[in-house]
Amino acid sequence: MKNMSKHVKLNLLAATIAGVFSASAMSATDPEALAAAIAKQEAELVALKGQLKELAKQQREQQAQAEQQKAQQLEQQTAIETVQAESSKLSKFSFKSYGSVIYTNDEYYDNVQDTTPERRGRFDLERIVTEFGYQFNDEWDMEVEIEYEHGGTGSSLEYDGFDEFGEFEAEVEAGGEVMIEKAQIRYRPSDAFGVKFGNIHLPVGLSSTLHKPNQYLTVQRHKSEAAMLPAVWNENGIGVFGEIANFHYQAQVVSGLNSEYFRTYDWVASGHQKRFEHVNGDDLAYVVRLDYGNFKSGSAVGVSYYYGNTSGNRHKTNKMSADGTVGILSVAGAYVEGPWILRGQYLNGTLSDADAITQANKTTPGLKPGNFAQLGSESEAFFVEAGVDLSHFTSIPVTVFANIDYSNPLKEVESGIATKRYENTWISGGINYFPIPEIVIKAEAGVQQVAVSSIPDTNFFALGVGYQFSL
Amino acid sequence: MKQFTHSAVAIALISALAACGGSGSDSTPTTEPDNSFSFDATEMVTNLTEDVIVAGYNDLADEGEAMLLATQTLVATPTQANLEAAQDAWKAARQPWEQGESHIFGPVDSMGIDPHLDSWPLNTIDLTTVLSTTTGFDAETIKSWNDDVQGFHTMEYLLFGDGVADNTKAIAELTANERDYLMGLAEVFRDYTKDLDDAWVVSHDASSGKAYGELLKNPGSDGNTFYSSNVGVVEELINGMIGIVDEVGNGKIADPFGESVSSADTSKVESQYSWNSLTDFSNNIIGVRNVYQGELTGAADKQGIVDFVAAADKDLATRVGTEIDNAILTIQAIEGSNDMPFRQAISDTEGRKRIQTAVDALSKLQTSLESDVLPLLKTWKV
Repeated sequence: MKNMSKHVKLNLLAATIAGVFSASAMSATDPEALAAAIAKQEAELVALKGQLKELAKQQREQQAQAEQQKAQQLEQQTAIETVQAESSKLSKFSFKSYGSVIYTNDEYYDNVQDTTPERRGRFDLERIVTEFGYQFNDEWDMEVEIEYEHGGTGSSLEYDGFDEFGEFEAEVEAGGEVMIEKAQIRYRPSDAFGVKFGNIHLPVGLSSTLHKPNQYLTVQRHKSEAAMLPAVWNENGIGVFGEIANFHYQAQVVSGLNSEYFRTYDWVASGHQKRFEHVNGDDLAYVVRLDYGNFKSGSAVGVSYYYGNTSGNRHKTNKMSADGTVGILSVAGAYVEGPWILRGQYLNGTLSDADAITQANKTTPGLKPGNFAQLGSESEAFFVEAGVDLSHFTSIPVTVFANIDYSNPLKEVESGIATKRYENTWISGGINYFPIPEIVIKAEAGVQQVAVSSIPDTNFFALGVGYQFSL
Repeated sequence: MKQFTHSAVAIALISALAACGGSGSDSTPTTEPDNSFSFDATEMVTNLTEDVIVAGYNDLADEGEAMLLATQTLVATPTQANLEAAQDAWKAARQPWEQGESHIFGPVDSMGIDPHLDSWPLNTIDLTTVLSTTTGFDAETIKSWNDDVQGFHTMEYLLFGDGVADNTKAIAELTANERDYLMGLAEVFRDYTKDLDDAWVVSHDASSGKAYGELLKNPGSDGNTFYSSNVGVVEELINGMIGIVDEVGNGKIADPFGESVSSADTSKVESQYSWNSLTDFSNNIIGVRNVYQGELTGAADKQGIVDFVAAADKDLATRVGTEIDNAILTIQAIEGSNDMPFRQAISDTEGRKRIQTAVDALSKLQTSLESDVLPLLKTWKV
């Protein structure tokens, strides 16, 4: 519009000048008229100059305005870009947390002679886990999980009732610790294929997949698994994974276990190398897993296999030359539909050279496995949990459940007799109450049976509260 | 007169100054009285190593050998006399072992010998299973089993019976399989006691390392990564004494003793099958006396911890010696006038009084060792 009026004004000016000159040419003979004409022309010229000035001024103003607008636009653009960048940075960052506090009430035996159990209640700030993640771009991301167990740091003192008179022992492994449970970098170009490396979770045992309080029904994670292998097992290594037509696959090469710490009561679980600054990596392990469906979100079936030698990771390398090969097969299934929850897992493990490891452990200075030296050449554990989510039938967000856990770390021994003292069955029932979806309050009561007939069954109950959320 | 006045003024001034000085010194820290003492520990350490520790393990290895022979005889000729001979061999081996608990550092600890030999309580449940399902026991197989089905107390259970009503056993009660197992256990026992002895006199790690006895006697010498000076050695010896006094007083006796008759627990009594508990406990403290005096009971006087203590404080040296003797006597007195075993005494009113006396004596000795003897290391001018 402004450009248009400018043109109009210029044309008008030209027409006026032309008119003035033609008029003066016509009336040049009359001096009065001439003077008047000159005066008129002068006046018009002044007016014209004034108009021109005004025009130039307007043009300058318009230019300045345009520049200002341009600058403003630029500023806006930058601001938008900054905001966009900020928000995408935040959207790339993820934070998750879960945790639980429990109260357990069990019956204990003072020592191996004792057959009169004593009741003991205990509180435990079981774990608080924080998980930080960052999505660098569409293909690369990283994740760090830090776990605070038993609310503390450092080593803790443990009461060992099986030892002479019951002894107090400093246990670094047993709790009051802060540790990195996962620190992985992932490259995932497509759903069908991804690579992860660093400190990664092993897909052996369902606890590695289902470890948040709302993902299992019992108050504590499944005891059967903890009595056989490292629960929520993490190692250093590299793995590939992916999803093709509802099949999920994983294959990993990871740091192996150290047989120096294998003990009767939990088979290879305490061989998890976490008590030293460095993880011996002379023997590696290999893991494969194939699931149909997704255990995290619903129904699935899956099978996994772990295989690796363990002697090479011993600190005292001269104590034994045999391999000490660990093989673990896991078969798991879950049916989660509507109100129904049914999950189960069967674990079977084999350990070669079990006697040689026992012997080496008993004669290695400082190890002192004592009454826990004997190792199973075969180990077995399973659990089945079944639940009904009553919120499908009533307004109460409660799931009732029944659970059975069984473990026998000494299913077979290479020679001699396998004591049945470590063959345990836990049968329990209880409820999960979800006041809000992020929080679960649990109660469980049950009976523990030791496969030794002279040891009476004991009753236990437990209460727990857990949470999980993610930003 | 003038001189007197001057002198008087001078005296007055000096006393005033002295008074000032006196009051001034109150606010400055008083210099520690020099209570340091000198003592050359070389002879004492050499003597304790050779005549007490190594001599004791030597004795133990011999008794281990003797016990294997006794069980072999019992298997070959299962008679009541041979069973009783094996029982005696067990008690004889028990003595140097229990006395040696006053110096339970070095190979006995690092090689895990203690749990191999003396794991307590015994796992009777597993033992019953082993006996009912296995025959033909060889030493190597037994060694690979858990410690709670081997060692002193497993042999004790087989030799003496359950110890509830008596500590005697008829040969008819001992099955052939039990005799075999006993013999296998005795062989394992013999091997471990020999390993322990060798570690002190041949090589502490059973291969290229020096004898542990040499390391103890030569602190700070080339390649001795265990002890850098005699201070460390003497500290180890004193702490060894404290450790067993604590274990006997607060563990072995106090644990089964409980707070009252109703909380007394016979299942926790060590050596309950043989009724050897009180002998065990007094041997533990006799072991303390061996280290303290520097010689095994009855041997010629040699230097011991007592000489180290006497170099600092003669009265303390005598007092601790008396307290050790008193602890031994009060433990022995628990049996009363009718030879009451410890597992009965904890449930007996009079017995409990005598036990309390022994516990008090042990507690007093422990306090002296911890608060008076151990701190001497700080004032010792090495």
